Amino acid sequence: MKKLILVALVLLFNLSFSQDYKFGKVSKEELAEKSYNNDSTVHAAVLYKECKIHYDYVQDEGFKKFVEVFERIKIYKKEGFNWGTKIENLYDENATREEKLLNLKAYTYNLESGKIKESKLKKNGIFKEETNKYWNQYKFTMPNLKEGSIIEYRYVIESPLIELDDDIFQYTIPIKKLSYQLKVPEYFRINKVLNTRASYVPEITERNKSRKFLVSYHSAFANGTANASTKFSKENLVERTYDIIETIYEADLQNIPALKTEAYVDNIGNYRAVAKWEITSIKGFDGSVTEYSTDWDQVTRSIYNRDDFGRELSKTNYYEEDIKSKLKGVNAPEEKVAIIYNYVKSKVKWNGLRGYTSELGVKKAYKEGAGNVADINLMLTSMLRYAGLDANPVLVSTRNNGIPIFPNTSGFNYVITGVSLESGFILLDATNKYASANILQENTINWKGRVIKGNGTSAWIPLTPQTKSKEIALMSVEINDDLSISGKIRKQFTEYKALGYRDAYYNVKNETIVKHFEEGKGEIEITNFTVNNKESLNKPISYTYDYTLNNEVEEIGDKLYISPLLFLAPDDNPFKQDSRTYPIDFIYPTYSKYSVTVKIPEGYAVESLPENAKIQLNGSDGEFSYIIKSSGNTLQVMVTKDLNKTLILPNEYSEFKQFFQLSFEKQLDKIVLKKA
Amino acid sequence: MRFKKSISIIAMLISLTTYAQEKLIALTIDSELKDNANAVVRLRETQIEFSSYNKMITKGKRVVTVLNASGRRNVGAHLSYDNEINIKKLGAIIYDALGNEIKKFKKNDFTDESAISSFSLYEDSRVKYLDYTPVSYPYTVEFYYETITNNTAYIPQWMPLQNYYVSTEKSIFKLIYDESVGINKKMNNLGNHDIEEINTPGQLLYIGSNIKAIKPEAYSPRFKDLVPYLQVTLNKFSYEGYTSETNDWKTMGKWMYDELLADRTQLSIKTQDEIKRLINGIQDPIEKAKIVYNYVQENTRYISIQEGIGGIQPILASKVDEVKYGDCKGLTNYTKALLDVVGVESYYTRVYASENNTVDVDKDFVSFVGQTNHVILNIPNEKEDLWLECTSQTSPFNYSANFTDDRDVFVITPEGGKIVHTKEYKTEDNLQSTKAKVSVDVSGNIFSEIKIDSEGTQYGNHNMIENASEKDKKLYYKNYLSDINNLEIVSLSHSNDKEKIVFSETIKIKGNKYASKAGIRLLFAPNMFNKTTNVPPRYTSRKLPFKIERGFTDIDEYEITLPETLEVEALMKPVSIDNQFGSYSASIEKNSENKLVYKRKLILNKGDYKKEDYKAFRDFYLKIVKHDKSKIALKTIQ
Repeated sequence: MKKLILVALVLLFNLSFSQDYKFGKVSKEELAEKSYNNDSTVHAAVLYKECKIHYDYVQDEGFKKFVEVFERIKIYKKEGFNWGTKIENLYDENATREEKLLNLKAYTYNLESGKIKESKLKKNGIFKEETNKYWNQYKFTMPNLKEGSIIEYRYVIESPLIELDDDIFQYTIPIKKLSYQLKVPEYFRINKVLNTRASYVPEITERNKSRKFLVSYHSAFANGTANASTKFSKENLVERTYDIIETIYEADLQNIPALKTEAYVDNIGNYRAVAKWEITSIKGFDGSVTEYSTDWDQVTRSIYNRDDFGRELSKTNYYEEDIKSKLKGVNAPEEKVAIIYNYVKSKVKWNGLRGYTSELGVKKAYKEGAGNVADINLMLTSMLRYAGLDANPVLVSTRNNGIPIFPNTSGFNYVITGVSLESGFILLDATNKYASANILQENTINWKGRVIKGNGTSAWIPLTPQTKSKEIALMSVEINDDLSISGKIRKQFTEYKALGYRDAYYNVKNETIVKHFEEGKGEIEITNFTVNNKESLNKPISYTYDYTLNNEVEEIGDKLYISPLLFLAPDDNPFKQDSRTYPIDFIYPTYSKYSVTVKIPEGYAVESLPENAKIQLNGSDGEFSYIIKSSGNTLQVMVTKDLNKTLILPNEYSEFKQFFQLSFEKQLDKIVLKKA
Repeated sequence: MRFKKSISIIAMLISLTTYAQEKLIALTIDSELKDNANAVVRLRETQIEFSSYNKMITKGKRVVTVLNASGRRNVGAHLSYDNEINIKKLGAIIYDALGNEIKKFKKNDFTDESAISSFSLYEDSRVKYLDYTPVSYPYTVEFYYETITNNTAYIPQWMPLQNYYVSTEKSIFKLIYDESVGINKKMNNLGNHDIEEINTPGQLLYIGSNIKAIKPEAYSPRFKDLVPYLQVTLNKFSYEGYTSETNDWKTMGKWMYDELLADRTQLSIKTQDEIKRLINGIQDPIEKAKIVYNYVQENTRYISIQEGIGGIQPILASKVDEVKYGDCKGLTNYTKALLDVVGVESYYTRVYASENNTVDVDKDFVSFVGQTNHVILNIPNEKEDLWLECTSQTSPFNYSANFTDDRDVFVITPEGGKIVHTKEYKTEDNLQSTKAKVSVDVSGNIFSEIKIDSEGTQYGNHNMIENASEKDKKLYYKNYLSDINNLEIVSLSHSNDKEKIVFSETIKIKGNKYASKAGIRLLFAPNMFNKTTNVPPRYTSRKLPFKIERGFTDIDEYEITLPETLEVEALMKPVSIDNQFGSYSASIEKNSENKLVYKRKLILNKGDYKKEDYKAFRDFYLKIVKHDKSKIALKTIQ
């Protein structure tokens, strides 16, 4: 009776039922739930996630990290079934550096005729796959999954890797409740940083607590007499209990929204609610302290001091003879840069691997003609220095690597070269065959770069391109008697637009390029296609072609209608969303200019012309202009598009979209011709 | 005669080893072989030897010259293996353009990775591949391997031309077998290529020489239908411990049923009772099948696990019943088991499923594996057989469009196997009907309620929007109706009639300034919601035939209301085009003073066409595009 009243009360107040977050204590109410907060588009939700991390000292192995995971997930729709499969990637280099997944227990719960039915995950649903030499993948998939099911699993990952992974507080489905705990023994000093770009930032508290810590180790360590000849045996094994202080980081979070990506977001991970941890120092039992990086200066220095960075940079003997002969008689610094840069590009090919540390070693890379990013760009820096130039490596983080939220060595994953010349500072990346000075791969134009000087000191430098990438088009339009159009076009591209063209078409036959250009342009035929400056990478690239086009002049009644920009006008406004959650990054500023000359066919005269227009985006952030003039039987149309702002924030989006919309519509405006 | 032949074989083999050296020099390649090629297979030797029906030794060698960066993917220096394949030998040597050795790779220098397919949770297949960054082009890779396996069910097909943009200088295939076991072989698409066939008792020898590279072209049939390939099987083979001796589809089916399928359909009494309860009182077998299919959809999900014999044999129906998931084999067998309980006849069916092409199981070439990649369930029916896709939790009953439709499949019955053709979705059944009421205002804005009904194959193009989020749906319609600038979605709804298999969408939109101003006129394209804009690409000389895999019909009817202050200045003339590819008609008529009705019908026929007809096909599309964007002129009443 009491129970009944209680249930009635809960229903009456329409309160959410009290939930039991113990493993196995799934309630009928949770199982009966049909949707997440009445949102039918949520296919699955994490009802509870618990993550507890602590360290213990294991005899002969040292500190080990234990990550206890427990998740309770509700499946609302079939589309959410993939949440019934869990995958963990675990490191496995060898028997002593191997992460293990232990104590896996998992159940699916279903409500069947008013009763909770549980189905246990059995061995046949658990798989281990050796992904490659270093990684294993553990996967399990839950039995008896239906719409409405709840699954629960818990397991422990035991890891000899004491570094902490990023702790993820946000999934692509909502999390109703999340409980987090990280216990760090006093031997570790730790730095916590939260991703402030995320739309959800979790609150993490911090307190200290003492605990007994059982440590077993060999006495030779304790009295500092351990050396290479020390025998470790049971006899000199010492067990001691320490009273230590642990710092406990905790979070108790509710209703974490789902992370949803949108168009034009290069890496949604940059916006995920994440806690990153960095161990800044470790104190040994003998009292010795090992410091790890704490600020960017120290991060950079520790990278610089690595054998596979600083030492590789200082090697010169492998190329000295070749560079000497290449630079014979060359004095101008700009010329030296060009010769060395082109030499490295032709001599060593990028193997597709990133990283700021040399993988093969510069010498081997030079000899074999292939290497990773660091092999190539450290070699380039070294050669430039050898030639007497002020060249330095610049650490960067690619867009995939994201923007680091605190100083740590994994904040960078790429290295390029910076050269100070009297004429200015230039950035070089010799991994892309078609790149040139100050033209980097778009993926590396992210956040900022850290330049490391010869003495190991470092400083920030901007990476965002300042000069505009231009597209200049000249087009003639002649309307023939049969209302077909013929004409010529010349297009020129600079900077990133030139790189874009070369990346796409450098190795492509003209015949194929023409085919590609013809696509989407209607009934067109392109002839006499020629490209200029394909090889001169530091010059703008340009091409010209002749075209004939049918069905672009519309004859309605006795009038002719034509949109003079023809296929130069964009197909549609690419910005279709009403609003945005995340910024749009154009990376580099752009400028386009189209000059179109239209010859009016004999027997026709202008009835009306589009109006001239100028559209501005927030002052000088962007400008579009459309000017049309008529003189005799020709019309001159001039369209310019100027976009100075490269990062559009969500609150600027609607104005930005409007700017694009209006300029797009303007480009479709029609000339009306009547019979003369 | 026979004597002569064997001499020529010996001569051939000797010459191969001696001139192999020159194969390493990229500069000597015949210029014809470089046409349209990113890579040239200089020499490919495959020797397969059966010491008995259950032991296959494969020795392979590939010498490939890569001409440019795009050709790197055609090096083919990788070897797939699993627990049953023992790699005896593996290595590669890289040569520069002049044939000088640059680098050597031994077995352990190959990268070893799991070769799991993207759709699988687990597979036991692995791959060893060569990870090499070329220093310059051209370069040549010599790759060799030797494997032994007891699985003799699948003999790699010989394809002297391996891919688009790759030519072949020499490709040799040799197969040594025990005459008492015998083989079955079929050569396909021989064409007029230089292919020699020198077969002697106990040995097959095929030599392909100087086969030029081909380029893909729009609408062309799939690559395999364009190039020669040889299929071979042993008349007696072994697979994961099973042995079969079959050489026709009937006995193959009988063997598969007895060995791999029989006795795998037991279900617990509880499940049997449950399903019997659900069909209680229903007599019609199709109605029963619908209930069973729905039960499977509601209670299971698709998880692919391929391991050992599990790559061929379904897991027990009782196992699926316990965990409630399975792969195509497991779920199909489970559905069959449930149908058995309710007395509906059904058969396990192997099929080559693919969206883009309808690929047949070869009636004339019997093989245990290698021709199919999927399993569905066949329900024989007097009028028209039914086909159940048991891996989908959402597909309507008996809906196989765009995946397993219109192709020959292998149906396995207790009496034996047979080749059956699946349902063809006909041009007139693949219907998309768009009806709209539109009003235009003086500024050229349009307001409309659009209703789209899709059936047949077109159902499958539309219904995927059903479960998207509201935000994604809006974006979807903005892209679907991308021709309308500044589109505002006022409201949207759908209904999915799985019984009739019709997906209906109703969208209310506002299109700001859809009609463009030109002086005092408004120009207005009446085909607002279904414009064809893409034209098949132009080829100066088309090389390949073309194919339309599935026909369709689009019907559009829009009623347009004009404001009283606007009058029609000019309407376009009605058009009607009819040809072998289909038909197109469009018209606009004035119904009353301010009402216009636009009607359009586009039919594209399924068919195989000659390359000579491509231009006419493209012209048909050009006309459609032209008429679809035709505009009418409206003028303010003075």
